[in-house]
Amino acid sequence: MASRGGSARPNGSLPQTKICQFKLVLLGDMAVGKSSLVLRFVKGQFDEFQETTIGAAFLAQSVCLDDTTVKFEIWDTAGQERYHSLAPMYYRGAQAAIVVFDITKPETFERAKAWVKELQRQASPNIVIALAGNKADLADKRMVEYEEAQTYAEDTGLLFMETSAKTAMNVNELFLAIAKKMPKTDTQNPTHAARHRGVNLQDPDAQSTRGCCGN
Amino acid sequence: MRGLEDQEDSSDRCAKRPAEVANGSSGAPGQPLTLLDRLRLCQCAWAPWGPWDRDQAFAALWGRPPGSFLVLSDTSAQPQSLCLSVGGNGELVRDFPIKHTGAVFHLPQSHLGFADLVQLVAFYSLSRDVLPVCLFLPPCVFGLSEQPGPDQSQLGPKVWPCPSPNQKLDHVTSRSTGITMCSIQVTSANGALCIVNPLYLHEHGDDWLALRPQSTPVRASQTANQKRERRLSTTRPWRGAGLHKMRGLSLDHEPHDTPPVGSESPSTPPEGVVLRRASQPIGCDSLKRRGEGPPPGDSTPTPQSPHRVSWIEDGVWLSPPSLLPAPCMELDSLSISSLEEEPESAVSPSHLHAPRLPLVLADKVKNRLSAVGQALGGLLSPQKRLANRVQELSERRGGSFAEALRGFVENTLRGGADTHPSSTDMLQDVRNALTSLKEALFDSTEIHSLIDSLGDVSDSELDSMVEVSLHKVALKPVCSHLYVCLHEFRSHDGTLQQLQDSLQSLSGRDPLGLGGTGGAGVPDTATLEKIQQRWASMHQAYSPRKKVYILLKVCKSIYHSMSANASPGAAFGADDFLPCLTWVLLRSDLSTLQLDTDYMMELLDPTQLQGEGGYYLTSLYASLFYVSSFRPRLATRQLSAEAQHSLSQWHRRRTLHCNQSRRCKARRTIRRRAQERGLGSWERKWPPGQEVVKKRMSQQCRTLRAEAFLQQQKCVRMRGGRWRKRGPWGRRDRSLGTEGQACPKAERGSHKALGTASEAPDSQVRVQACQLLGHHRDQQGLELSSNPLTGSQSGVADCVHQSEERP
Repeated sequence: MASRGGSARPNGSLPQTKICQFKLVLLGDMAVGKSSLVLRFVKGQFDEFQETTIGAAFLAQSVCLDDTTVKFEIWDTAGQERYHSLAPMYYRGAQAAIVVFDITKPETFERAKAWVKELQRQASPNIVIALAGNKADLADKRMVEYEEAQTYAEDTGLLFMETSAKTAMNVNELFLAIAKKMPKTDTQNPTHAARHRGVNLQDPDAQSTRGCCGN
Repeated sequence: MRGLEDQEDSSDRCAKRPAEVANGSSGAPGQPLTLLDRLRLCQCAWAPWGPWDRDQAFAALWGRPPGSFLVLSDTSAQPQSLCLSVGGNGELVRDFPIKHTGAVFHLPQSHLGFADLVQLVAFYSLSRDVLPVCLFLPPCVFGLSEQPGPDQSQLGPKVWPCPSPNQKLDHVTSRSTGITMCSIQVTSANGALCIVNPLYLHEHGDDWLALRPQSTPVRASQTANQKRERRLSTTRPWRGAGLHKMRGLSLDHEPHDTPPVGSESPSTPPEGVVLRRASQPIGCDSLKRRGEGPPPGDSTPTPQSPHRVSWIEDGVWLSPPSLLPAPCMELDSLSISSLEEEPESAVSPSHLHAPRLPLVLADKVKNRLSAVGQALGGLLSPQKRLANRVQELSERRGGSFAEALRGFVENTLRGGADTHPSSTDMLQDVRNALTSLKEALFDSTEIHSLIDSLGDVSDSELDSMVEVSLHKVALKPVCSHLYVCLHEFRSHDGTLQQLQDSLQSLSGRDPLGLGGTGGAGVPDTATLEKIQQRWASMHQAYSPRKKVYILLKVCKSIYHSMSANASPGAAFGADDFLPCLTWVLLRSDLSTLQLDTDYMMELLDPTQLQGEGGYYLTSLYASLFYVSSFRPRLATRQLSAEAQHSLSQWHRRRTLHCNQSRRCKARRTIRRRAQERGLGSWERKWPPGQEVVKKRMSQQCRTLRAEAFLQQQKCVRMRGGRWRKRGPWGRRDRSLGTEGQACPKAERGSHKALGTASEAPDSQVRVQACQLLGHHRDQQGLELSSNPLTGSQSGVADCVHQSEERP
């Protein structure tokens, strides 16, 4: 029953919050904990923000920033190699992506790098990509060093965190960091969005549109 | 509103009728014979034993009045068939098998089941249902008394179908009574006819229809009503309870077919048209044969049960099961992201089952009533109001919307595999037309005023309401044609064959073999059966929204099966879901699903492509794609170039649509302009045999559309500041004249596109816009240069995308 006004309450901000909706896609090898990560994020939040979905492959969750409610529609993908070719259908149009790997399995890190490369080549140009080294609770079995991943993330311009879906370490932080990095255009309210866009282009457009419609 | 008062009066009259008649007859001493009793008494006459065979019966019925009948039994005393003199030309006597399923007797084509033969005969003597004529009961039946007398012994099979010209059922006269039909006619036995307002039944129940004769009918019916009212109040939400004044409207929804029912046949009513209740005493009574008559009493045919009920055929409700549309298949509003559990019956269409028996008269009454109730309740629901108004507009002669709609339907029905290069183009044309029609609706003053009267409805809700209304008037008539074309396309391009080929190599695999993790279960046989039914109903639906809604239900079932045997709390993501979905698909009708998926992907309202519906539709598409592109021992890491291309095409179209606003009239303008320039007709005029060229041209057309969209985006932006929450179309320049004039040269359009881009800070955009311009020139000169189509197209899309995302 989370209405727009209601969703603003826990943060105590004004009822008139901006609502931004984003498509976030989850990529990563099979069994690296993509779903667990998201479930931890979704279940850990206020129920009020959670939208009921029929299954865990698609989840929706909102995050409250200061004056904005960021709503994520989270699209999970199948990590199996055989389904790799289907991924473009899922990540097209996504404004954010979390590429997950398992710190105990170096091959998943390599796979993650391949995903990042593919995203940067084929996905939306402005996509916000976060790299998540999951299963950080299994530090004694670590095979991918933190620094290695950190360096890679810096080089490629990604957000990076080591997370643990099991202990909830850095899970909310990761999503919050993504939410902060998203462009805050109100996508829920077209009037608002249009007005936002309209400002920039009003002058150059005014003339040409007159030409277009008035001829 | 004179009509309303009249209706109220008539319904009041109807309401009083049972009591009046019941009072009138309550004075009669003892238990008079009912029609059932009479029929039972002379059962030997109309259902002769042993020696009669079909030929004999036919001979006996030859030349008899239409409706004369005999029921033939075989040696095991099971009823076999109903031989009926149908009169008319051609075959004069026909026989209809009578089935005995469980405790129920029924004619195979009919939904109506009866506890015994007597009730069946009684019913069909009053209403013909699936028969060509009503059964005709000889007048001597009505002279029967309870006491076994000479008249009864005289009655035999040979006497039964007696010719009695003066008593012949005259169908012509009974047709021309000029009575407005409603779903239920109640006729008192003295021949007076009154019409029961279905709402009366709705409010007061229909138990009395099936009431057995009571010595104190009034009290009995009162208690029954009380009971019924209680039941109604809990089981059926009645939204129109306060709408007494609107009662009369229900009649308007009824078909005005005249009944072939002998409405004046002098028969006593069958009180026992209790169809489902075969286990009730009435069924036991009916097994009595003649000679076990009821206690002595009045022998005159005084009506005991005050009414008889006859079903009026209307071609819908009494048609064979396969043609019976489930009422209200299309949902009014879809909540995609939260699926409520619904009773299963609401999902599985009745036509999928073998004819369900016993199907009940009472159920039909309820169906009918709930349909009426929904129509009335619709007066309250904004969606219904809108849908009704759209329907009106679509039927208005000479109205601009009606004309546009008619044009669309005709065009679409004319089009097909030979007029479109691909299924995508065809569906895309339909989608564009839908969008234009939707905007035409938003421009209509009537819709506008209706929307204003709806109160606070958000833009997106309004949009989806109009979309749903539009599906009904626009998609419903063309849906089956589109499927035929889709099938043709998909057969030609080999997709269906590929699916079948892959099916063979994949079908033996379990989800593990499809890449699953093994922790998840798969649907059991029963669930799989249920899923098949849902697929079928998904195929049946014409509205893409409804289809997606059903798809979500299927996905929910799959999730349910996955977690049924899993450790508690386990949640399955796409790693498990996609293999499981694929597993299910391999056990379904892949070809039909492929067509359904095409249909949904292209025709769905773009706003619906996001969110949960979009996700699972994508999964369905992906899974089908996986199956069709499956090559054993072949690395499928990379999509084929062709597949990549088709995917990006699809995505681009959808992205374009998603970003379009319905409020921008420019889209329509531009689309028309493109057509006026003949771009739309290129595809059609291209000489056959030059497929590649044709394909390229059509892609260029699309590029041009993308370019047009680029311009239009500017319009959106400029107009953005003027938008209001609701009703901007009212304030917008609504003269169509500007549209007609707004046809600048295409070249200027692309210059403008360039102009926009060069003012943009991003140099990449400028480069792409240049590409666009170059590409556009190619197209104008009809040159087929080596311009990489995909490159320039993605340039356009990226350009659009970037300029759009600029804050």
